[in-house]
Amino acid sequence: MLDFKLTQQQSEDQPGVDVGQEDRVYDLIIIGGGPAGLTAAIYAGRAALKAVVLAGSLPGGQVANTELVENFPGFPKGIGGPDLAQRVHQQAKKFVADVVQEGVREVDFAAYPRHVRTSSGTYRGRTVIIATGTFPRRLGIRGESEFFGRGVSTCATCDGFFYKDRRVVVVGGGDSAVEEGLFLTKFARQVVVIHRRDELRASPILQERAFANPKMRFVWDTVAEEILGDQTVNGVRVRNVKTGEISTIETDGVFVYIGLIPATKVFKGQVDLDANGYVITDQRQRTNVPGVFAAGDVQNPDFRQAVVAAGSGAVAAMAASRSLPEIRLAMEEKARERAPAT
Amino acid sequence: MPLLNEEVAEQVRQELVDLAGPVRLVMFTQEFECEFCAETRKLVEEVAQLSDQLTAEVYDFVVDQEQAEELGVDKIPAIAVVGSQDYGVRFYGIPSGYEFTSLLHAIRMVGAGEPGLSEGGMEALAELTEPVHIQVFVTPTCPYCPGAVVMGHQMAVASPMVRADMVEATEFPHLAMRYRVMGVPRTVINGTAYIEGAAPESMVLDKLQQALVGAGEPS
Repeated sequence: MLDFKLTQQQSEDQPGVDVGQEDRVYDLIIIGGGPAGLTAAIYAGRAALKAVVLAGSLPGGQVANTELVENFPGFPKGIGGPDLAQRVHQQAKKFVADVVQEGVREVDFAAYPRHVRTSSGTYRGRTVIIATGTFPRRLGIRGESEFFGRGVSTCATCDGFFYKDRRVVVVGGGDSAVEEGLFLTKFARQVVVIHRRDELRASPILQERAFANPKMRFVWDTVAEEILGDQTVNGVRVRNVKTGEISTIETDGVFVYIGLIPATKVFKGQVDLDANGYVITDQRQRTNVPGVFAAGDVQNPDFRQAVVAAGSGAVAAMAASRSLPEIRLAMEEKARERAPAT
Repeated sequence: MPLLNEEVAEQVRQELVDLAGPVRLVMFTQEFECEFCAETRKLVEEVAQLSDQLTAEVYDFVVDQEQAEELGVDKIPAIAVVGSQDYGVRFYGIPSGYEFTSLLHAIRMVGAGEPGLSEGGMEALAELTEPVHIQVFVTPTCPYCPGAVVMGHQMAVASPMVRADMVEATEFPHLAMRYRVMGVPRTVINGTAYIEGAAPESMVLDKLQQALVGAGEPS
């Protein structure tokens, strides 16, 4: 028996469960416009669900941020990140008319239908898929905020151009750090990768390319302590974690690729999150709240890949679609329970 | 060899099918064409063919100096997107890559005369008493940039006191250097206030106020 935790209070635009306004309620609200959200949209649209995608500010999601995607199936020669993002976006719009570039400010999953508020108003849906993904972790060191946009960046494809023939430092040791570091060698005359351990987490093929690139240099067992500069960045102070030695690396830019944080602040207290803020889901992408699902990086701390996100988006949409009859039924029952006896 | 292939052209046609009113794409180039002038002109001409409501007008920056001055165009390649009135919506440099969607957005907004801002935003802009010049620096492969460009153009459509430019940083390196653009999008307001990244409406409005009271950073 599904428990919808119907809210007792009346909200101004929705007096309790307004069965009379069924037509203004979406079957499915998809929060997030990356591969997960957009694939969910494709499946939802094809299942004839009335759906809306609140795509936020980056159409296509983070895959748009990288120059070349070589491991998404179907593209033997690889595909440009922006190109892949755009295609998925187009395909989604083919099946779901309402794809809007709005970000979510607040949600209420205790209410029924579920409430999702953006800058333009409140969307109501019978089911929801959370697919908000992740955003870059910051170093949290002095100089980072001050010089953001003036030598500090988290987007190599955006800002690489400005470092033509200059020196850059990349902080990190995973796939992104190495991949974007390699991308930066197209512009910079020198790319120094600083990593806090003595070996990279990045996939072997990327490591091979990186070590073979004459413009790339690695500084091991080292963390960044402070970003230095005047009008723009001119160096980064670092510390060797093994020897404790402090030194300064001269550089014109610092690109930070040290990991990703799930975008779940707005869902705190609404769905169960794990210790690191990722949404907890089962194999059907269900959260602890009936009718609320999650897909993509936001619920996957371990395998954050575009194809995995797309797959989980499809599952979530199919699960949402299958849950609808049960949800409608339970909703009607609750409405009857609350209706005044005549 | 057209810039827009069949598929893209058809999509653009669909996007513009409900264009609310006539829009002129007024483009400035020059006889000894600058690096991207020829391509920009080609793009404008191809796009204009995809809707009956769109017309392309191509002027020479030097010979047609009067027209350039009238539209406040001071560098090329330039596209002024003009509807029933001139809202001050400009593109400097070729709107390629991600910025192509910004161009389509601009055409639709200008055609309908609808900025799509919040009520609060409209009210705040209605109180402006001094002119505001927004320059949004972008690069074509920057996925976050269209958000900032569209925001600037929305404000230009919303208020006669505001004009907004997309400025493609790789084509105008001196301008990029002048405003210390090292990360995009970078929005420069009246040459004194700066915003990094694509900021929401409320943040841009705040910066506008700051710029007008002269509280901008010296950077």
